[in-house]
Amino acid sequence: MIKTLNAILVCTSLVGLVGVYALKFQVEDTAGAKAALERRIERQQASLSLLEAEWAYLNQPTHVAPIVARHNEVLALQPTKPTQFAAMDSLPMRPVVQLDTTALDSLFESLEAGVDPIEQLIEASEDDGTSL
Amino acid sequence: MALLSEGGATPIALDGARKSRGNLTKARIRWVILALIIVFGTVAGRLIQLGSVVTETTIEGQERDLITASRPALLDRNGLEMAVDIRVPSLYAEPRRIIDVEEAVQKLRTVLPDLDEDWLRKRLTGDKGFVWVKRELTPAIEDAIFALGLPGFDFVQESKRFYPGAREASHVLGATNIDNQGIAGIEKHMDDENVALLQSLGLARGNELAPVNLSIDLRVQHVLYEQLSDALVRYQAVASAGAVMDVRTGEIIGLVSLPDYDPNNPSTAFEDYNGVKNQRFNRITSGIYELGSTFKTVTLAGALDSGKVRITDTFDARYGIRFGRFTIDDFHGKHRVLTVPEVYKYSSNIGTIKIMQALGKDDFRAFLSKLGFDKRASIELPEMRDPTVPAKFSEIVAATSSFGHGLSISPLHMLRAMAAFVNGGNMVPPTLIKRSEAEARQLYEPVISPTTSGYIRYLMRLNALEGSGTRMNKAAAGYRAGGKTGTAEKVVNGAYSASKSFNVFTSAFPLDNPRYAMIILVDEPKSENAQSGHTAGWNAGEVTGRVVAQIAPMLGISPDFNEMLDANLVPVEIR
Repeated sequence: MIKTLNAILVCTSLVGLVGVYALKFQVEDTAGAKAALERRIERQQASLSLLEAEWAYLNQPTHVAPIVARHNEVLALQPTKPTQFAAMDSLPMRPVVQLDTTALDSLFESLEAGVDPIEQLIEASEDDGTSL
Repeated sequence: MALLSEGGATPIALDGARKSRGNLTKARIRWVILALIIVFGTVAGRLIQLGSVVTETTIEGQERDLITASRPALLDRNGLEMAVDIRVPSLYAEPRRIIDVEEAVQKLRTVLPDLDEDWLRKRLTGDKGFVWVKRELTPAIEDAIFALGLPGFDFVQESKRFYPGAREASHVLGATNIDNQGIAGIEKHMDDENVALLQSLGLARGNELAPVNLSIDLRVQHVLYEQLSDALVRYQAVASAGAVMDVRTGEIIGLVSLPDYDPNNPSTAFEDYNGVKNQRFNRITSGIYELGSTFKTVTLAGALDSGKVRITDTFDARYGIRFGRFTIDDFHGKHRVLTVPEVYKYSSNIGTIKIMQALGKDDFRAFLSKLGFDKRASIELPEMRDPTVPAKFSEIVAATSSFGHGLSISPLHMLRAMAAFVNGGNMVPPTLIKRSEAEARQLYEPVISPTTSGYIRYLMRLNALEGSGTRMNKAAAGYRAGGKTGTAEKVVNGAYSASKSFNVFTSAFPLDNPRYAMIILVDEPKSENAQSGHTAGWNAGEVTGRVVAQIAPMLGISPDFNEMLDANLVPVEIR
């Protein structure tokens, strides 16, 4: 009875021992991987901050203005003169188109009656042997 | 039995074998318990000892967190970066872990040849736990040093401030030192406020700090910088400065002071400029000047607002005014009776003194206090100087003060007053942080009535159309700008000099619905060519005009040549 109990206890402690050590090494590995990842993140953050700074630098008027000046022979940009501005309100309205309703009515009526004025014109020109 | 009865002695008791073994076991148990207590006591003691070990977190007296702490990014009002943090590697050494100092020195110098050999050897010898070798390196150098495989060397990722616009906004931004702490400008202001506290609590790591939106508009700042740099060359001036303020919100949307420095290299702030020391300060906030005739706007605003002077009044400017042995006369003398608008238009000293006298010197002094001219103008910059305004005015001091001599204020004071004069009479504290109009309204402090504000707008526009501001108006045609010139003679060896002047132009636009106020200073300008003059209209005025013409379209102000706009500015009394 005691012997079997002892055997079981020895087995459990052996299993426990192996288990705990395995866990320990696993944790060490994970910690190592974590540190490596953190380091990678840190480096990436660092290069990201550099890229962001570069982007900010490239967007600065101080950076853009000399480029424009350098290429102005091609671009031919000039400051806008006050006289060159106009507001939407100052544009004239589109002229109102007066529809010739009677002519349209007669056209629709003749179409409904089966007479196409354009077709007649084409036919007439074909008869003449001339093209439109 | 005889033995038992003898002497009544204690009977000899012999323990049984079992009992004696039991005692022995007890003794053994005691020893084991003692041994266990000692063993576990040692373990517990060691645990306590380990637990109480304080790992060194400071780096040469600096908290490690503080070094890696970041600062909030500074953006302009449209979200463009003006100051960002970059993470840079810094090399440190642990001398107690260095095996071969000589080898380390030689190898390090292959990558960092500018390090002094003796200095490096001295630094790496010893039993210290931490010494900086070189801070703020590039990732390429970091890799090269790693490749050397030296024991006892490592890197910390430090935050370093980077200003992509370099000099453009130097006086607004200020600068930071190598530990990323603000030492000037808005950087220092933020540290004084709360960033330093956050950093000391270790809360300012990574991207946790929300970026701060400044009131500056980088486009306006750029135009201002370009034009003022141009003015330095064009008029061979010793200095120039300017600021633009939103009159409704008090936001400063551009602030430039030249000569300046590079905030990426703060030591440039102490460099001599053309052989003169201490020239690179912020002239807008920490310079105080006699602002000359621009002060007439203030005098007229005070007088018209009191009701003691009406816009229709006339003043006799035929003769100079005598104070003891001094006589004050006009520069562009008309020597006739002038109306109030004419006094302003011709910049008549005599007329202005008479107007001030009609107001009364004590009321005039009280009006200056109301405008906050005897205290510092508050703004988020530590660079400030107290204005010098006499506490009590004598007759002559009041007279000279009315046209801007004998008292010194910062250009920022004047800008704030100008904004209040044109926006309907509400003074609003200037700020460098983005602010909405609703927030600004809470801070409004009425200094003149809306009617008086209307008069001032008319006078400023009139001066641009017919007075000393015509050159400005020509450059800024269509934008309804107006303003006042000021040509103050500089004090050289205790006397006013006729050849050296300090020129100012205060302005606002568009005057039919004022949005922005501006002040431009040009110090000791010379004539651009033989035909041009050296008074403020020729330099500070022209600069203002060119700036307005460029920034107005950016700020959404469209040009309008309708003459009715100007006609509407004329007060009903004199139409």
